[in-house]
Amino acid sequence: MNQRRFVAAVIPLAVAGLVLSACSSNKNSGGQGGSSGGKPVFKIGYEGPLSGGNAQLGLNMKYAVQLAINEANAKGDLPFTLQYTEADDQGSGDKSPAAAQQLIDDKQVIAVVGPAFSGATKAAEPKFADANLATVSPSATSPLLATQGWKTFFRVVADDNAQGPADADYAVKKLGITNIFAIDDASAYGQPLEKAFEDEAKKNGAQVTHQSVPGTTQCQAGSGNTQQYPAVAQTIKASGAQLVFYAGYYCDFALLAKALHQAGYTGKLFSDDGSLDPKYIEQAGADVAEGTYISCACADLSNDPKAQKFAADFKKLAGFPISVYSAEAYDATNTIIAVLKELGASATRAKVVEKLRTVDYQGITKEVKFQPNGNISGNAVYIYQVQGGKIVSLGLAGS
Amino acid sequence: MCLTNHFWDYFVPGIANGFLYALIALGYTLVYGVLQLINFAHSEVFMSGGFGGLFVINWAIADRHPHGLSSVWFVLIGIIAGAVTGGVVAFVLERVAYRPLRRRHAPKLAFLISAIGMSYFLYNLAGKEFGRDARTMKPPFTVTPSKPLFTIFGASVNLYDAVIALSAIIMLVLLDRLVQNTRLGQGIRAVAQDADTAALMGVNIDRVISQTFVIGGLLGGAAGFLFGLGTAGVSYTMGFTPGLKAFTAAVLGGIGNIRGAMLGGLLLGVVENLASSCFGASWVDVVAFYILVLVLLVRPMGLLGERLGRSA
Amino acid sequence: MTRRDLRSVLMGVRARQLGTAVLGALVVDVMTGPSGSLTAPTRGLTGSLLSIRAVIFVALGVALWAFLTFRDRLATYTSRWTAAIAPSRLVADRRYRRAGYAALLAAAIAVPPYLSQYWQEVAVDQIGVYVLLALGLNVVVGFAGLLDLGYIAFYAIGAYSCAYWTGSLPIRPPHVFNPFVTIIFAVIAAMIAGVVLGFPTLRLRGDYLAIVTLGFGEIITIYANNLQSVTGGAQGPPKPIPHFSINLLGIHYQWKISNLPYYYLLLAFVVLILVLFHNLENSRVGRAWTAIREDEVAAAASGINTFRYKLLAFAIGASTSGFAGVLFASKIQVITPLSFVLQQSILVLVLVIFGGMGSLAGAVVGAAVIQWLPNALKTYVDKADLFMYLGAVLVVMMIYRPQGIIPSRRRSRELAMAEAGLVEADALTTASKEV
Repeated sequence: MNQRRFVAAVIPLAVAGLVLSACSSNKNSGGQGGSSGGKPVFKIGYEGPLSGGNAQLGLNMKYAVQLAINEANAKGDLPFTLQYTEADDQGSGDKSPAAAQQLIDDKQVIAVVGPAFSGATKAAEPKFADANLATVSPSATSPLLATQGWKTFFRVVADDNAQGPADADYAVKKLGITNIFAIDDASAYGQPLEKAFEDEAKKNGAQVTHQSVPGTTQCQAGSGNTQQYPAVAQTIKASGAQLVFYAGYYCDFALLAKALHQAGYTGKLFSDDGSLDPKYIEQAGADVAEGTYISCACADLSNDPKAQKFAADFKKLAGFPISVYSAEAYDATNTIIAVLKELGASATRAKVVEKLRTVDYQGITKEVKFQPNGNISGNAVYIYQVQGGKIVSLGLAGS
Repeated sequence: MCLTNHFWDYFVPGIANGFLYALIALGYTLVYGVLQLINFAHSEVFMSGGFGGLFVINWAIADRHPHGLSSVWFVLIGIIAGAVTGGVVAFVLERVAYRPLRRRHAPKLAFLISAIGMSYFLYNLAGKEFGRDARTMKPPFTVTPSKPLFTIFGASVNLYDAVIALSAIIMLVLLDRLVQNTRLGQGIRAVAQDADTAALMGVNIDRVISQTFVIGGLLGGAAGFLFGLGTAGVSYTMGFTPGLKAFTAAVLGGIGNIRGAMLGGLLLGVVENLASSCFGASWVDVVAFYILVLVLLVRPMGLLGERLGRSA
Repeated sequence: MTRRDLRSVLMGVRARQLGTAVLGALVVDVMTGPSGSLTAPTRGLTGSLLSIRAVIFVALGVALWAFLTFRDRLATYTSRWTAAIAPSRLVADRRYRRAGYAALLAAAIAVPPYLSQYWQEVAVDQIGVYVLLALGLNVVVGFAGLLDLGYIAFYAIGAYSCAYWTGSLPIRPPHVFNPFVTIIFAVIAAMIAGVVLGFPTLRLRGDYLAIVTLGFGEIITIYANNLQSVTGGAQGPPKPIPHFSINLLGIHYQWKISNLPYYYLLLAFVVLILVLFHNLENSRVGRAWTAIREDEVAAAASGINTFRYKLLAFAIGASTSGFAGVLFASKIQVITPLSFVLQQSILVLVLVIFGGMGSLAGAVVGAAVIQWLPNALKTYVDKADLFMYLGAVLVVMMIYRPQGIIPSRRRSRELAMAEAGLVEADALTTASKEV
């Protein structure tokens, strides 16, 4: 009977705990709840993974959205009050329509940052298009998304068809590599990116060996085993490749880099915007990461004072440093805010969609201007390299 | 290049993985032996061992760069820390998710669900408390890729692989002796053979089951530390995949059979790496499960058969 | 007085209960307390244990313990509580039960139009489809007593069959069909897969079957993910899967993006399957399954072809799952291998057991409750900790009510007999002792 008592005791306690935590979380959920002083309230929604295996990626963006909203409100020159609201899609297509619906149902939501993942975007965007609610994705890179004719779809990130070929051109033409081992993380992000890279590299005359290496649970919602990398490293070493291209995220890439180092591989390493994160160096070790090339369709943040301030403020708000796609989410939110400022207090969902087509906003990662299909225009890809334990910009890939 | 060329280059890391699988698999097998239940939360015991080892060793090493004999001490401290954490978590697990259900004669699948619930609870609690990114341990020894410890048929064996193999062998031998030669081992074997009769003979079943969980937890926790020592580090989700693999290994060898778990673990580790060389890393699980099905079709009770009581 | 008695007096039963209450309070404190992080791993623990919160929670725990102990009305308290959670006596009475089901069905028809669009969406994508899945798995696990951990593979087969026959995959079908027609193909494909998997493996016993089916589930997901040129890989089919439409005998109707039409379609299917399975349960086949579940050896001895009936259960479960896959694919229009991972198989198993194994009403209620819960909890707790709360709910539920919310009458009887020490609660347990 001891157990029954335990249960009987726990349930009221759990309820008490929930009430307590609900009270405290109400206090610190971003934006200025409450008094709007007669001004209309507009909400900017964020849809991304906030629970489940991809939660960390979602949090990287969530705090950037909150920060942009807080800053805009703090300036005090807005004819309206901005609020933050969020919907969790766990990064998956099956939860995404409900998350989208949650934002659509809230009539105060005027525009959405997200959805974060390509699969989630594919499932949710018909809903957003139906409701005429603009979405600006900071991270969905699948080329397919721009071909579906959704008029509400925008993204501030270059798609894989821009980044993959630029990477391949840089590797083959600039670095003069002829034998490449290309790896994807078997995710919806890595697979198409690797494909775009491989096609272009082969067109340039390089020999490309491809292998799919599933991402691990400690990096994303993958099925891979963290112990799989030594065997992969052996295969790469035996192939005699001069360069390894990795389409995936930094946390898996770090594991591969370490395994390659231990196997005695001495060639070059090359990865993409999912790896543009100082944590790559931290997890792989500075000596292993040294010399790694990383490409990104985003400008160098380290010399821009605005970007530096963003990084510092982000850390204060989130409790952890900026990471993959934080800056893109910040730009996406600020683009929406810029549009709202122009529209003033009379903004509607439909007007935001129209205005986004012609917006021209200078963000910290790039100049935000959209093509008619929602893609960002001017797909400038920058190359970075790890030098002396730091990520240093080498300039535009094409230059 | 599959199988013929570089065979040993794939074989050696496979053996190292295999020892880790074996250590975890023993946790499944021991519990299965006495309760005929799959302990789905064992992967979180492994995870907690990783965190226990991580915090203790990072605190113990501080700013030192250990080498020589001090390395041995640090590895030992880490193993003990991991094992103790794993043992404590396994003990609590049995008390919360198993014993109350046994008291109520719950159906078997209820245990499965409460174990799954514990698994969700524990790993998400760890994520909440310790952050959701991987953390790396401070190395108690230095691995230099250019200078391997020794070579087997041209394949280099590095210090990390050797440490895993050596610690695992010592623990496996100790466990085998424990189950064969001690009173505690007798109790476990008696409960495994026939719990009701054992109870009539004066064996305290509750205590034996609790002890079995703790032994499995000690090994799983130690494996968690050894795992975290490697390239992957420690993270709140680290238990899921190795747990699944170890469970597969335990079934492969014959669940409930201690030596079977060891054999199954080593076999699975090697098969995975060879499959990676032949078909690529994304097909490894497919090959592993095909082999499992084939083995079970030929030997429905696994390679060495069931029965913790008899064959151990 | 034995040693055990002595010890319990020395330690004090009440003192131990107090300890449990305090520990429970501290666990809840940590669960709802602040989080730690990578750089400050102890912040969460110290923030919840070394702060005023801990005192409040311990005080709450002690107060509860005192209340329960000294009022000594625990018995009435718990029984009242049980009655509130599941009116088991009412359920037992057939007339009340019929009326209850009729009321539930009426509510299921009448209420959704008044819900918000969001809850309608949840009712379709997350509850409706999973009710179907739970009903199918209930046949395998609840009726026939087979542990299937790869159940979601058949769901994937159904979804991908639908994608293939509607022309959404990179490989083209010989003829493109309406999603309604693909139900037939999908159900057949899933059934064949079920038989192909079941034929060699159903001779294996409980836990071995579990791991083999688990492996099968993994294999299907990996194929879907890796065969990019066939399935579209991790991104899923390149073209969206079309919505349902009817174009028959002059009636033309097209299901679109809104949720209610889908909801009623699903509801109709669920009711249809409920009626089907209810009749099945009370037929010769259902009785054979019960016999196999309770004692396979005895069932075989009395002339039941156990293998054939097990295979039948497997095939029925698989085809229900495949059917659900078509509904899901056509509703969501986008499928990716991530929807078919092992965790989903485990989730469906949780729905069945949480609801009450072997009980059709249980499967429906279990699916509804467990799928509704996270969506409801999200408002109150930090979303990142969602699965921690769900895990705790599962453990507490299994400790308190291992038979599930609405157990089938036969199973409650089996359980009661087990509690009285007459037989084991589960055929899955007894079988392992024989061999």
